[in-house]
Amino acid sequence: MIDVMQHLPILLIAIPILMAAVMILLRSHPKLQNNLNVAVSIVLLLMSIQLLFHVWDNGIQVYEVGEWGKYGILLVADLLGSGMVLLSSGISLMALIYSLDYIQEHSLSSTYHSLFNLLIAGLNGTFLTGDLFNMFVFFEILLLSSCALVVSQGKGGHTKTSDKMEATFKYLILNMIGSIVMLIAVASLYATLGTLNMADIAIKISALSQSGTLPWHVFVIALLFIVVFGNKAAIFPMHYWLPDVHPSAPSPISAMLSGVMIKVGAYGVLRVCFLIFQDALFLLKPIIIFLALATIMVGAISAIGQNDVKRLLAYSSVSQIGYIFLGIGMGTALTITASLVYLVNHAIAKSMLFLASGSIIHHAGTRDMTRMGGMVQSAPLLSSAFLIGAMSIAGLPPMGGFIAKFMLFNAGILDQYYIPVAIALTFAVLTLFYMFRAWLRMFWGEERDFVEHGEYRPPNTSLSVHIPIIILTAAVIALGLYAEPLIILSQAITEQLLDPQPYIDAVLTGEVR
Amino acid sequence: MNSVLLSITISILFGIGTFLILRRDIIKVIIGLSILSHAVNLLIVSTGIFDIGKVPIITGSHETAVASGTIFTDDIANGVLAPVISVMTGTHYVDPLVQALVLTAIVISLATTAFILILAYRIYEEYKTTDIRELKRLRG
Repeated sequence: MIDVMQHLPILLIAIPILMAAVMILLRSHPKLQNNLNVAVSIVLLLMSIQLLFHVWDNGIQVYEVGEWGKYGILLVADLLGSGMVLLSSGISLMALIYSLDYIQEHSLSSTYHSLFNLLIAGLNGTFLTGDLFNMFVFFEILLLSSCALVVSQGKGGHTKTSDKMEATFKYLILNMIGSIVMLIAVASLYATLGTLNMADIAIKISALSQSGTLPWHVFVIALLFIVVFGNKAAIFPMHYWLPDVHPSAPSPISAMLSGVMIKVGAYGVLRVCFLIFQDALFLLKPIIIFLALATIMVGAISAIGQNDVKRLLAYSSVSQIGYIFLGIGMGTALTITASLVYLVNHAIAKSMLFLASGSIIHHAGTRDMTRMGGMVQSAPLLSSAFLIGAMSIAGLPPMGGFIAKFMLFNAGILDQYYIPVAIALTFAVLTLFYMFRAWLRMFWGEERDFVEHGEYRPPNTSLSVHIPIIILTAAVIALGLYAEPLIILSQAITEQLLDPQPYIDAVLTGEVR
Repeated sequence: MNSVLLSITISILFGIGTFLILRRDIIKVIIGLSILSHAVNLLIVSTGIFDIGKVPIITGSHETAVASGTIFTDDIANGVLAPVISVMTGTHYVDPLVQALVLTAIVISLATTAFILILAYRIYEEYKTTDIRELKRLRG
């Protein structure tokens, strides 16, 4: 048992990669493939829960891949990393169950399962790695597998293939440029410091900065990392690919992209800026705050004018990631805690909304909200799920989103960031407006006029579509009513982030190499 | 290796790549991307230590190499950041890590280029054009 615990970090990456290969071999047995993949995802979820508890009890876990010490690849599971792994495993299990009945059989049995497993491997690897170049490799795995998943077609074909191609092209080109920028930053860092291990870089930068010989281009490298992670997270100047890609993807993949993938950017900023560039934070914080506020404004204003339900949710994601970055940018213990709580709440609520919107589109036969209406009669489950999600995103009291928004604004005011909080609060009102306007247009009002739009019979939906929506809805409510464990976990993560010494000690102990 | 010449080559490649990315033709954009990634690969290689006649292979096991002093270690107090400085110590190899990094980067850029070329072909099939300005159905 002890052995398994020790090897958890590598197993969380190796099992999905192995499964990706197995799934391709099993493509002539679709039933077996479905059951096996769900079983493996449940095992991964249990393992990530196990890892989080293990890290909580025993401190930071370091797993050495190969035997080159800090020059080799290290997997580091601290509270932030293992927490993010737990979040992504949970959401990916839900998305997987949902996609069993949502994705076309042909696409599902041929490539979907293996690409999905690669996506999970990429996510877990990004969250667990302790090496900058390794992080780049996992970013590329994430990028390629998610591109191929965006193109896969859901049942019903409500998204044109040409739209998917166009969105994927934008996504791929922008993210390739992003990864080229990341390589430039990594190479320059290596040329300056001679190491790629994040803990080692942190030690060397603080030593150089104490002796006053920190070269100025380290600040430029820090800014390059903001560009890289900002591109992943879709913050303001790099946000325009997201409203094309997230709506074009099939709904379970939209849930993965909006729920977990854009959080990778927030994770990267938390990890890299607060571990490595402690000395450049005075420069980074105002920039992140400015970009976050611009993101909030652009996302909220654009969301108001949308008629397509998934496009509205995508713009809402842009706006909400701004709030997460606002908390990160203010950079005190309280605000980072708040922003972690916000991150988890948004991830769960937004993936639930995307899954629900997939069912709504199937039910109504169109993505256009102006042609929906009165569906509260015919789809009571979907309408209540969407309402709960909308309330959470807008920040109304019983839901998790309220706790998150309240903590963020409270922390901002306590730390005397009055103007950013005022701007963010103003645009939070807009969130309330566009989420409820969408709900009213889709579910309230007159029933759809069948004479005008032609007869459309919604397909029969099976249990596997409803279960994930119900579970995630329950999670949204539970996070609002009983938020203490999440808040305590976020506080512990923030402590580790603001004082990276335990992380550095755990990575570099006993190594005289 | 003349590092000035290498730097100039890298900067020219970056210039060509950036110029091609801003073109309207999809194929030119893709070629620009691969030129950019080659420029980055050269940049990574150039961060290693160049020394004629030395190979990027460390012979013997890691422990013996540390003991005999051929691998040199960090000494932050004295401002020594291994393995960046090469001038003072008598190493028998050039930095092997950058070669490993650049191999990984080349393989990854191969995969992405293959994917994006197929995507470009499918876009040509759907849109009957390779003009990037025609790809605007998703506006709004």
